[in-house]
Amino acid sequence: MPLYREATSEALIVEDPWLRLADDAAVPADGMVLVSFARWREARAALLARRGPVGVALANTDPVEALAPDVSRLDLVTLHFPKFSDGRAYSQARLLRGRFAYQGELRATGGVLQDQAAFMLRCGFDAFESEQKGFGEALAKARTLFSIVYQPAEDGRAPASLLRLKRRNVLVS
Amino acid sequence: MAKNLSGDLQVASANRLADGVVVWLDDAGQWTTRLDRAAIARDSRTAEILLLRGLAEAFTVIDPFLVAVTEDDDGTIEPLSLREKIRASGLTFDAIAADAVRYA
Amino acid sequence: MPDTHFYRYDDYDRSLVSERVDQFRDQVRRRLAGELTEEQFKPLRLHNGLYLQLHAYMLRIAIPYGTLSSRQLRKLADISRKYDRGYGHFTTRQNLQLNWIKLEDAPDALAALAEVDMHALQTSGNCIRNVTADHFAGAAVDEIEDPRIWAEIVRQWSTLHPEFTFLPRKFKIAITGSPNDRAAVRVHDIGLRLWRNAEGEVGFEVIVGGGLGRTPMIGKTLREFLPKNELLAYLEATLRVYNRYGRRDNLYKARIKILVHEVGVEKMRADVEAEYAETRDGLLGLDNETIEAIARQFAPPELPPRPERVSAVEALKLVDRDFALWLKSNVAPHRVKGYAIVTASLKPAGAPPGDASAVQMEGMADIAEAFSQAELRVSHEQNLILPHVAVEDLPTVYVALGRLGFAEANVGKITDIIACPGLDYCALANARSIPVAQQISNHFASLARQHDIGDLKIKISGCINACGHHHVGHIGILGVDKNGVELYQISLGGDVDFGKTALGTILGPAVTADKVVDAVDSLVGTYLDTRAAGERFVDTFRRIGAEPFKDRMYAAL
Repeated sequence: MPLYREATSEALIVEDPWLRLADDAAVPADGMVLVSFARWREARAALLARRGPVGVALANTDPVEALAPDVSRLDLVTLHFPKFSDGRAYSQARLLRGRFAYQGELRATGGVLQDQAAFMLRCGFDAFESEQKGFGEALAKARTLFSIVYQPAEDGRAPASLLRLKRRNVLVS
Repeated sequence: MAKNLSGDLQVASANRLADGVVVWLDDAGQWTTRLDRAAIARDSRTAEILLLRGLAEAFTVIDPFLVAVTEDDDGTIEPLSLREKIRASGLTFDAIAADAVRYA
Repeated sequence: MPDTHFYRYDDYDRSLVSERVDQFRDQVRRRLAGELTEEQFKPLRLHNGLYLQLHAYMLRIAIPYGTLSSRQLRKLADISRKYDRGYGHFTTRQNLQLNWIKLEDAPDALAALAEVDMHALQTSGNCIRNVTADHFAGAAVDEIEDPRIWAEIVRQWSTLHPEFTFLPRKFKIAITGSPNDRAAVRVHDIGLRLWRNAEGEVGFEVIVGGGLGRTPMIGKTLREFLPKNELLAYLEATLRVYNRYGRRDNLYKARIKILVHEVGVEKMRADVEAEYAETRDGLLGLDNETIEAIARQFAPPELPPRPERVSAVEALKLVDRDFALWLKSNVAPHRVKGYAIVTASLKPAGAPPGDASAVQMEGMADIAEAFSQAELRVSHEQNLILPHVAVEDLPTVYVALGRLGFAEANVGKITDIIACPGLDYCALANARSIPVAQQISNHFASLARQHDIGDLKIKISGCINACGHHHVGHIGILGVDKNGVELYQISLGGDVDFGKTALGTILGPAVTADKVVDAVDSLVGTYLDTRAAGERFVDTFRRIGAEPFKDRMYAAL
């Protein structure tokens, strides 16, 4: 499925450099390797000991807390949206990005639709698998769809309440 | 007076995408608001085909489906179920008019 | 923009609503052009309040905490004329429904709403819905604090919340600021009750997992006392636990009440408190200045001193018996002496409950402007409220309401029926509810008789989704379908008065439509024959139980 990364402005699809490793396949000594959560749990030490970057693919029922101690050593985490309407991965994303301060690529899998992009960006996703026509263009515009947000999330945008405080304090000299 | 209460007779129906209006598939494979113009399938095989035709014409409507109907001696079609009767003929009470000030 | 005594949008609020209209306009365009399938589009239109019913689309317009200005109500009348069939239905969640909207007109209707700072955001879909509040807020005598301040704070936090837009199921929050809960907080996903503790601090009791529908449940206390400025941090923790662990395998088991039921409230509390321990010190803490800035906007209007006892009112009471009854049933005391809270009954005899024509809406807007600080409320009992009417003005208001057909002295009485739209409108329904309500209403039309019967809340739902709240009706009526025939199951003893929240007891087998009026008549007969002095219908039921009612009802049918 086409992979989009944010920060590429126009409808650009990027090549996915990661190798999705089957659970029963041997771990290669180097290269970018994406493993399932089960494999991660089973072979964590070996995966971290190798030279190449490691990524973990979580199901939306997997406990994202389990990755917390190792976030600084992961370069990719994929979170899954089995259906458009299943929003569990939004919470996983926020916890990873926010509470656990994960800084690697955070990728949404499952075939994202453009109308989810704005929410996903706010939750900290920066890469998206999508088959939808026009997804790239929509992604490029998603951050600016709304000039105001009402609540803090993982995109660093100040919520309206904070902007109002600042504005009032400026006026009260 | 109404024949065929067993539900062998079916018509295809949907709601129009642009305005939600109830429509029925006619013999020409077009969606009409007139139930009396609906194409009637008289056995299950024909009904299957009717539904497929409806699905093929689904660009302007939402989720076509089959509706069991009865047919009078004079050819009047009426849906079997209360829901579909209401869907075909509208509210069963008088809604208030835009300029109503008291309920009549 | 005329001054209001509730939250006024600033440029930030306006930009969000207007950009949302643009976004939806584009989504509609893509749908009509076939670039989106119905499956992809449906959640998007639901998030903008647009349902597909039997005959047409229905637009559910948000009326946050049931409060609106005369100007806004006039615009609703306008929109109902221009884009619909000139009438609307006020709902059990304080919203307004228009039943004949076209998809292609919906963006324009939403743009028109935006002109008066209104919208249909999140009035449907698996997201946080309209936050409802006491419809007497800001005027009630027993109020500790205006719950609408908090409803507004929650409204903003929950609007386009990126994490909670695809929850397992819908999420409904209600808030009361008074010990007499008029917001039914114990039958919501989250109910918030403002109260004052022994130290004199005002905080929230947080109640979780209430709800009606297929598995009605009464909410349990998650947190006894939550300091006010921690409200959003706590809600975020609760919603996150629900989003992560609420069931997604079965549509009918997906509400938070099922999660609470299955894991137990202790486990639920432990999980929420653990999450809250992380959220509480973050950006969700409400600073006093932010709270104050919003609270100020709900400051009660300056009501000029007006006399408490008015000879004209006293005199009219004596000569006009209907006016006397109206004062008793439709007028409630106000926290400011010389004022009163007036309920306009949208239940005239034989009318579809809760409906208003465009002309009636405009008439209400005019009355509110002249006599109620240009403000109205929508109650979850499908009536409109004029919150700040001077006692001196009651006779004039009574006459004005009468011209609209909204002065029937039946608030809280047997013909003040709550009914969902039912099978006449709704694709989910099994049976009709409006014609049943009309028949009951016509049968008991006599005001004298209604006042003799006293307080009796009948609630009718056309299906198990319980949008008519039948579980908490003194008499609850649930429409069911058996082999294509509409049948009605009757229950007794439901209630939503705080401290007495109770689910009704089903009396027995469902009855046919033509028997419902006789059934209700018989139940009333049992009550009248057995009541003790001062007992309401529901009190007699609690005292003598279901048997006497049931026996006589089935014998009569």
